[in-house]
Amino acid sequence: MKALILVGGFGTRLRPLTLSVPKPLVEFANKPMILHQIEALKAVGVTEVILAINYQPEVVLNFLKEFEAKLGITISCSQEKEPLGTAGPLALARDKLIDGSGEPFFVLNSDVICEYPFKEMFEFHKGHGGEASIMVTKVDEPSKYGVVVMEETTGKVDKFVEKPKLFVGNKINAGIYLLNPSVLNRIELKPTSIEKEIFPKIAAEEKLYAMVLPGFWMDIGQPRDYIEGLRLYLDALRKKSSTKLATGPHIVGNVLVHESAKIGEGCLIGPDVAIGPGCVVEAGVRLSRCTVMRGVRIKQHTCISSSIIGWHSTVGQWARVENMTILGEDVHVCDEIYSNGGVILPHKEIKSSILKPEIVM
Amino acid sequence: MEISEQKVVAVIMVGGPTKGTRFRPLSFNTPKPLFPLAGQPMVHHPISACKRISNLAQIFLIGFFEEREFTLYVSSISNELKIPVRYLKEDKPRGSAGGLYYFRNIIMEDNPSHIFLLNCDVCCSFPLTNMLEAHKRYGGMGTVLVSAETANQFGELVADPITKELLHYTEKPETFVSDLINCGLYIFTPDIFTAIQEVSTHREDQANLRHLSTFEALQSPTRAFPLDFVRLDQDILSPFAGKKQLYTYETMDFWEQIKTPGMSLKCSGLYLSQFRFTSPDLLAGGDGTRSALIVGDVYVHPSAKVHPTAKIGPNVSISANVRVGAGARLINCIVLDDVEVQENAVVINSIVGWKSSIGKWSRVQADGDYNAKLGITILGEAVMVEDEVVVINSIVLPSKTLNLSVQDEIIL
Repeated sequence: MKALILVGGFGTRLRPLTLSVPKPLVEFANKPMILHQIEALKAVGVTEVILAINYQPEVVLNFLKEFEAKLGITISCSQEKEPLGTAGPLALARDKLIDGSGEPFFVLNSDVICEYPFKEMFEFHKGHGGEASIMVTKVDEPSKYGVVVMEETTGKVDKFVEKPKLFVGNKINAGIYLLNPSVLNRIELKPTSIEKEIFPKIAAEEKLYAMVLPGFWMDIGQPRDYIEGLRLYLDALRKKSSTKLATGPHIVGNVLVHESAKIGEGCLIGPDVAIGPGCVVEAGVRLSRCTVMRGVRIKQHTCISSSIIGWHSTVGQWARVENMTILGEDVHVCDEIYSNGGVILPHKEIKSSILKPEIVM
Repeated sequence: MEISEQKVVAVIMVGGPTKGTRFRPLSFNTPKPLFPLAGQPMVHHPISACKRISNLAQIFLIGFFEEREFTLYVSSISNELKIPVRYLKEDKPRGSAGGLYYFRNIIMEDNPSHIFLLNCDVCCSFPLTNMLEAHKRYGGMGTVLVSAETANQFGELVADPITKELLHYTEKPETFVSDLINCGLYIFTPDIFTAIQEVSTHREDQANLRHLSTFEALQSPTRAFPLDFVRLDQDILSPFAGKKQLYTYETMDFWEQIKTPGMSLKCSGLYLSQFRFTSPDLLAGGDGTRSALIVGDVYVHPSAKVHPTAKIGPNVSISANVRVGAGARLINCIVLDDVEVQENAVVINSIVGWKSSIGKWSRVQADGDYNAKLGITILGEAVMVEDEVVVINSIVLPSKTLNLSVQDEIIL
């Protein structure tokens, strides 16, 4: 079985992190974003993954080579010469997706993190016998998104409504599809929107069905949602009583600590923290709701919350870093500095406090 | 060898990537020395000025960018000017004088009698021939180009008003010392290498005397540097001032340092107005009939296409393969390669990055304060400004599409 992951372009919403690393390779919960999806696809029997990718495909493919061997799965790229929207990339990858077997293929939006219930989705798809299945997820504020209006019992999709002003439903497109190869006949090789042009046609023919995603869902393509997504992800690990979560007197709530990271005396770590490989967290440090990437050193007595600390950065002693501070790669925050929402581009030194959210170039 | 046949060489310090965060976001796509001002790479301006000196044997560019960044430029400029231009990559930071010293054997290949040392990010009229004459009259080891200006900074140098000798030098003074500033342009005799050597040796002796390891020396309050890290200002100009070795030559013309994108726009304008006197054929002309109406000093690359109903200038520089549509208006801006400016768009006080697109009736502008953080609007590479969108006093990083108007913002 095959899968297409829509990786897209430059990941500009996740800058400054994506100034150093292409988005699919940015780690989430200590594992590159795309690997979460590829591993889940492998687990359901997918043998070939195609990445629809426009930016630095060589870098991503190169990185994934070792996982091709380890996981026993083929990974290839389909590169757009011009933007093709959300459906066009499927037409571009047509030859790779169709192998004559008639099997449906998965399509995933690369920013989506969830429990990837692909097996259940496959069963659902076979059950209704329609042409296409989409995952939907329940949200509190459906008007911010496109709402999928469907029959509650069968899941048959009635229509899509973009940013509805009146309440029409609370399920939105979760960015995961399972499509029969015949869907490709509906998509021309030109900029096309799957939600606005393709799915509505299939729904009109009563061949589109939606499954409500069990468990958590988040689009982690921007920092605020990335941090919230980590909370949801770690919470799901807790529910499964995962041994991956850290334990100890200095841990509170759900925390992931890479085995090669070192944590000093008198620290309080958590809730909702991920600490990457090779990190050094010195004594007396408080971390909450944050991600610390590979190779970071956090010096003594510092307090960090709701922030992302980029690869190989350092945070000085007695610093206070909070409120969506994002440090790019190789950023050095001096001792005693306060950062309130500073967004710092790579290779910078922060020598004076940032009192209000600000981008430092 | 007769005095009139003595050769001269020029060394241009171009810096390197780790020092360049002030030139972001433009530095994401090009090394600062190659960023175009008035249609030519920044480093081209000091290089062409050096070409005017008689008996110039070679030009060296010293920096720590990767060699491949300069290969193409260096070979094409060598061919064009018929003079060897070479890029020498420093293996590690050695300071402004240390780098010069490190390459002394190559620099002295042709046994030059004088060595010009220029900083690439200096924008001025490069009065090199007159400065060399003055230097020979003074008979010292070095002559520094100076300018009287107190607008942005305190002067660092004190010079004798009659003999022009450099009497005193202070780096980054915080109180008033003088109104003369160091323009970052020097002429030296080969004695400079001995002087730099002396500094290193002296430092080594000091370290030995105090039995300091290099590590300890770095930690001490006096912050001694590694032995081979020699700074021109503090380590040469300062100690040698007042010893009848160093002199000054004052320029009355414009002088600026190009540290930020805003300043690059200002300096592009200064060079364009200089072209009016030195190379008027480089400037564009047009009256709106068969070609676009040109106001003031404007450079248009031969491959660019500008619609006759557009109005361009003053102070506009248009690079290769740019297309400017009907009814567009460009004022005080740099438009980089492959940009498309669509019909009736307006661009004022801005820099439009390579391959960007400015939509119909859209407006990209800024207040024009070259020193303010958001005083010039900068669009990075491949930024798409959609039709009718307004972008004011903002910086947009590469590959963004703006479908909503923005003001006073940095868009990552």
